[in-house]
Amino acid sequence: MSLELVIRSIFSTFFLASVIRICTPIILPAMGGLFATAAGTFNMALEGIMLWGAFTGVFVSAYTGNVWLAVFCGIVVGILVSLILAVFHLEFGADLVLGGLAINLFSSGGTVFLMYTLIGEKGNTSTLSSLSVPNVAIPFIKDIPVLGEILSGHPVFTYLAFFLVFVAYIVIFRTRFGTYVRAVGVNPEAAASLGINVKKIRYYAIAISGALSALGGMSLSMAYLQMFQRDMSAGRGWIALAAVNLGARHPIGVLAAAMVFGFADAIANQLGSLNIPSQLVQIIPYATTIIALVVYAVQQKRAAIDRMKKFQEAHFEEVEAQIGTTE
Amino acid sequence: MKTFLKSKGFREFLRVVLALSIGLGLGFIITCFVSKDPVGSYKVFLFGPLSQLNRIGDWLEESTTLVFLGLAVAIVFSAKQFYIGVEGQMVLAALVSGVIVLYAPFPPVTRIILAFLAGSVTGFVWGIIPAYVKAYLNASELVSSLMMNTIALKLFEYLLSNYLQLPKVSGIMSELFPKDVRLGSVIPNLPFLAETRALWEKQTSVTVMVYVAIAAVFLAYLLIFKTPFGYELRMVGSNDKFARYGGVNVKRIIMLSICFSGIFAGLAGVHVALGIHHRIVMNMSAGLGFEGVNIAILSFNNPLIVPFASLLYGYLRAGADVMERTTDVSRELVTIVQAAVLLLITAERLLPVIQQRVTTQDDEEHLQEKGETNVA
Repeated sequence: MSLELVIRSIFSTFFLASVIRICTPIILPAMGGLFATAAGTFNMALEGIMLWGAFTGVFVSAYTGNVWLAVFCGIVVGILVSLILAVFHLEFGADLVLGGLAINLFSSGGTVFLMYTLIGEKGNTSTLSSLSVPNVAIPFIKDIPVLGEILSGHPVFTYLAFFLVFVAYIVIFRTRFGTYVRAVGVNPEAAASLGINVKKIRYYAIAISGALSALGGMSLSMAYLQMFQRDMSAGRGWIALAAVNLGARHPIGVLAAAMVFGFADAIANQLGSLNIPSQLVQIIPYATTIIALVVYAVQQKRAAIDRMKKFQEAHFEEVEAQIGTTE
Repeated sequence: MKTFLKSKGFREFLRVVLALSIGLGLGFIITCFVSKDPVGSYKVFLFGPLSQLNRIGDWLEESTTLVFLGLAVAIVFSAKQFYIGVEGQMVLAALVSGVIVLYAPFPPVTRIILAFLAGSVTGFVWGIIPAYVKAYLNASELVSSLMMNTIALKLFEYLLSNYLQLPKVSGIMSELFPKDVRLGSVIPNLPFLAETRALWEKQTSVTVMVYVAIAAVFLAYLLIFKTPFGYELRMVGSNDKFARYGGVNVKRIIMLSICFSGIFAGLAGVHVALGIHHRIVMNMSAGLGFEGVNIAILSFNNPLIVPFASLLYGYLRAGADVMERTTDVSRELVTIVQAAVLLLITAERLLPVIQQRVTTQDDEEHLQEKGETNVA
């Protein structure tokens, strides 16, 4: 396949549809991470919780034959695992980073351990006939020529992800709970002095991040693929965390950042059909993350310098004014 | 004796012992659920490494890798930098040192020395990007180092499978290193040790890397506790704002802490390539990514404790290996145990019950003494 064909395919409907599909497992944990971060508890365990969601979804659907029960169980397990972190951080003073790393370690080892115990495999669950969530054809839109191909026919999780961005916006900026979450995140002492139960709000925020990360995991194992693979979240939880920061902790910004990573991933998939070695192509999303981090950091630095200059100028006038009055 | 019992070191030691007991207890409970013969399986896990000389050898080899990784992480953690990219530094160092012993046109000894140097330099250099990004742009070293890990692993895979791959072999691996660049046995070549040496050489492949690891421990100790750099490093770790106020070039320290840790991670790579596999092969770093973190936390970032923590976790890993091979329990049990221990140790308020009691008692005694002297 020539480069021309690749470039042409990038502007095709298929490619745009694949961007939307690929960014789903980043948007969902990113929204979860957004809640936790907004409450001042940076959840480092998204990566591991995704694994538990993916794992539970596959096994429950395979053993019960009920997709929705599987999704429900996945969410419950995601919340339970996130609550381990919450209890250890909020009650026992565990460091968030190290606690998160411990949860990730536990998830990576625990899912493989259970997979081996249940089906005797260590790599993936391809021997298991697990289910995937249905795809949705949107009425009316699916009949529109180009738009229909891009927007319609995705798995339920994809629509849920975009809908949840909207919900997250409403909850964080338009509800009492959201105001509490932001207050707790910005200044826990002040929030506590106003009678907000800081610990409770943080428990809720971490639980929400667990539920959404588990959904993200299931969008990998019950939509993107139809099985569980060891360590299948493959850094998406971390990329989601990066997206939370890059999106300036605003749902729309986070969505945009997650789409950028989805775009990078989709391009990597497209280039895979060229004669470029797959390993080098697979580097693209990770390199994009680092570049995005750098760009964001440089911007932040510039903004800080600007603020300082403005403050100095304002202050300068003030001082001059004072000198004027003394004279 | 009483003061020793009250000392901080002893209390922390007690905390670690408690955390380990709880972790291993949890491991046993899990084994009870999954194994047909839980007691037998767990016995294999706990005592398996000691049963044969070659298993003791595996244990020592594994622990040597862990010492280097633990030291690498202890250095960055001393400066409170959550840098966890040692895995990437390690695999690339393994690759570079392997290529040198395979292809460099020099006599064997030169090649080995060059391999060590190149491995350390690779680790150092691979740390530069996340280090710079953190120190000068204040971008999260945690996320960037994790991304660099994946990039390093992909790069490793690419270079190995495209340029070093042996033809007509199913696995992805390079050719075996020549015999003349093999490192010597750990047992020195002395007349009265000849029998032991022959036995160890026959059954194990523990190499002189053990001594390199011991030297690295002291080097890291000197670096952290006995040099101006180490002093500034710890100052940045305990309070970076204070350090900056005190005239420490915080950016330089952060940068160097990550790069220096890369040297030790690089040595881990050299050990894995030259000391264990004797070739470059896929999944060289399998499961070692976070071991450094585990060990640094278990040893409170003190290089002198790192070897003991490494021997302990090396032992558990070796035990898990034996367990997987001989029983129905998977080796990932050890990961769960380690995660539990890590979580318990980082939970500062969970296991200090004894500690609090002792300190309050201590304070009361002091108060009483003071009261008495005042009265007198």
